[in-house]
Amino acid sequence: MTRYAQLLLSGFLLLFLLAGVSLTMGAESLPMKTVLQTLIQGGEQDFIVNYYRLPRILIAILVGMGLAISGVLTQGIIRNPLASPDLMGISGGAGLAACTMLLVWPNIDNVWLPPIALLGGFSAALVIWLLNRWHNPSPARLALVGIAISAFLSSCINFLLILHPVEINSAMIWLTGSLWGRNWDYVWPLLPWLIILVPFSFYLAWSLDLFALGEETADALGVNTKGLQIVALLSAVALASVSVAVCGTIGFVGLLSPHLARLLVGSRHKLVLPVAALVGALLVLSADTLARNLAPPLELPAGVLTAIIGAPYFLFLLHRYKGY
Amino acid sequence: MNILSSVRQSKTLTPTLLISTLMLGFIISLYGQSEFSLQANDLWRILMAPDIQDIKQQVILLLRLPRSLVACLIGFNLGVAGLLMQGLTRNPLASPTLFAINSGAACLMALNSIGFAFFSALPSGLATFLGALIGGLLVFSLGGGLRSDNNALRLILAGIAVNGLLSSLTRAALIIADDTAYSILHWLSGSLSEIDWHSWSQLWPLSLIALLLAFSTSRGLNLNALGEQTANSLGINITWLRVRVCLAVLLLTSISVTLAGPIVFVGLIAPHLARALFNNNHLVLLPASGLLGAALVCWADLLSRSIIPPAETPVGIITALIGTPFFIFLVLKGKL
Repeated sequence: MTRYAQLLLSGFLLLFLLAGVSLTMGAESLPMKTVLQTLIQGGEQDFIVNYYRLPRILIAILVGMGLAISGVLTQGIIRNPLASPDLMGISGGAGLAACTMLLVWPNIDNVWLPPIALLGGFSAALVIWLLNRWHNPSPARLALVGIAISAFLSSCINFLLILHPVEINSAMIWLTGSLWGRNWDYVWPLLPWLIILVPFSFYLAWSLDLFALGEETADALGVNTKGLQIVALLSAVALASVSVAVCGTIGFVGLLSPHLARLLVGSRHKLVLPVAALVGALLVLSADTLARNLAPPLELPAGVLTAIIGAPYFLFLLHRYKGY
Repeated sequence: MNILSSVRQSKTLTPTLLISTLMLGFIISLYGQSEFSLQANDLWRILMAPDIQDIKQQVILLLRLPRSLVACLIGFNLGVAGLLMQGLTRNPLASPTLFAINSGAACLMALNSIGFAFFSALPSGLATFLGALIGGLLVFSLGGGLRSDNNALRLILAGIAVNGLLSSLTRAALIIADDTAYSILHWLSGSLSEIDWHSWSQLWPLSLIALLLAFSTSRGLNLNALGEQTANSLGINITWLRVRVCLAVLLLTSISVTLAGPIVFVGLIAPHLARALFNNNHLVLLPASGLLGAALVCWADLLSRSIIPPAETPVGIITALIGTPFFIFLVLKGKL
């Protein structure tokens, strides 16, 4: 077994373990045996385990994967280590669209959440792309513009939430990202999108490795660079938007996971992508588990915890980054 | 640009326009957008026929007047603080918001008010001052402000990261303390809705001291604009200048955050507008930037009350909605 396979396997085991632990913990802690019994046959704790904690854990894993893969694709295409969907305003656009939809039509079916968020995410991406074309800023300045756009979008969300007051936990979903109250109704709209997009990005990763050599080299090696760039960016935006549609703008996961994955396995996208997805899933799942258990029955938004880990790492990246 | 340059050339027109914008905002905010149908001539009656029993006059004197005064003074403070920071660092994006001074103050204010550890023992003014200091120091040290290859862009990006970190901590602390309080959201985005005469009496003495301190540095800042070494050789003690400017900025920002929460981007917009309208002399720029900040917060407060009449939008959201596009414009214009 190669080192890479060992790494993947241990990542999966860790994720599995964490999911198991997360099932037992919460406002009401259950012994492992009861959890296993309930998972198989149902029973007294059926509601807590199967309808409350299990879908939430699944969503944490899916969303973490989605955001992380989106981060890998964005950083790979823009070749900017400071880029990620949340720092480029894409998460903000998707969050604003989804939040607007829920506030304006509160009774709408959840199936519509991902497409609406996609619309928001694509619009934000379009704005960034246009600004990039007109002004062609340096990578670090592009990051700054992206952050400014996400700041603008999040103050729009803030504004909307003041206009339509909702319960504080649901407000927090859109302000910082949280998995509060996410159940099976949110798993099903999310799943088909990810089932298509995740394998597709694995396929893209093969060509991205050539792209990392530089556009001209990749061209010479037979990659359709323009097409690849567009397709990869579109799928990055789609992945981020769909994830945001379900649990709000959880920050820094898309920035952090690709970097951590690269630390572990080097810079080949083929290898980085699966590891990054695992890291993302682990990050969101552990953030959510912590968020539920720091002060039960109160809940912290998971996005607050990812920011507490992610912001210092971003500072570290700034410290190392040379190309201002 | 023709209009702009002719406005710049005339010595009296710009200040007159500026002050009249501010006065207009101030007067309208005294009677505009109220649940009591106040009108402009109610203001006249206060001056001409004062009557303590009249409910309208009471509303204006006890609620509206302190609020408008505080809004103007906070705006003035933030505008001056932003200009001081830009003058000292020679970084056009330096401002209390982007250097996390605002959010540091807000963070410790929150920890103080929920009674976290030893922070609860401090008076709230001291806590916000400490918070402002911590926020600023974190950004400066982590953004490599002290390194020899000091880079303006890195400093700003570091400021944004520290900002994110501190505001997450603030949110976490407030949610743990009280998960039902929606007012948290209001205060966190900067709101003037709970201002009364007591806040005014807290605000003005400290502001006065800080503003005097700020104006005393204007000559030093003018020379600092030529570069540190030149300023040094012209007889400016750079370290002493820095200490005074930092103290003034921290005081101005922390006192404003204590009363109204972090009102963002005022300290970024006002100095840039002031530079566009006036020359580069800090002796002129300081009051100009202050007046512009005051006008901005005053009008933003008026706007925040008129969007959904009975309820109030936090004024900080309005300034954020104006400020972020301005920020994007500055970055793309290559001001950095």
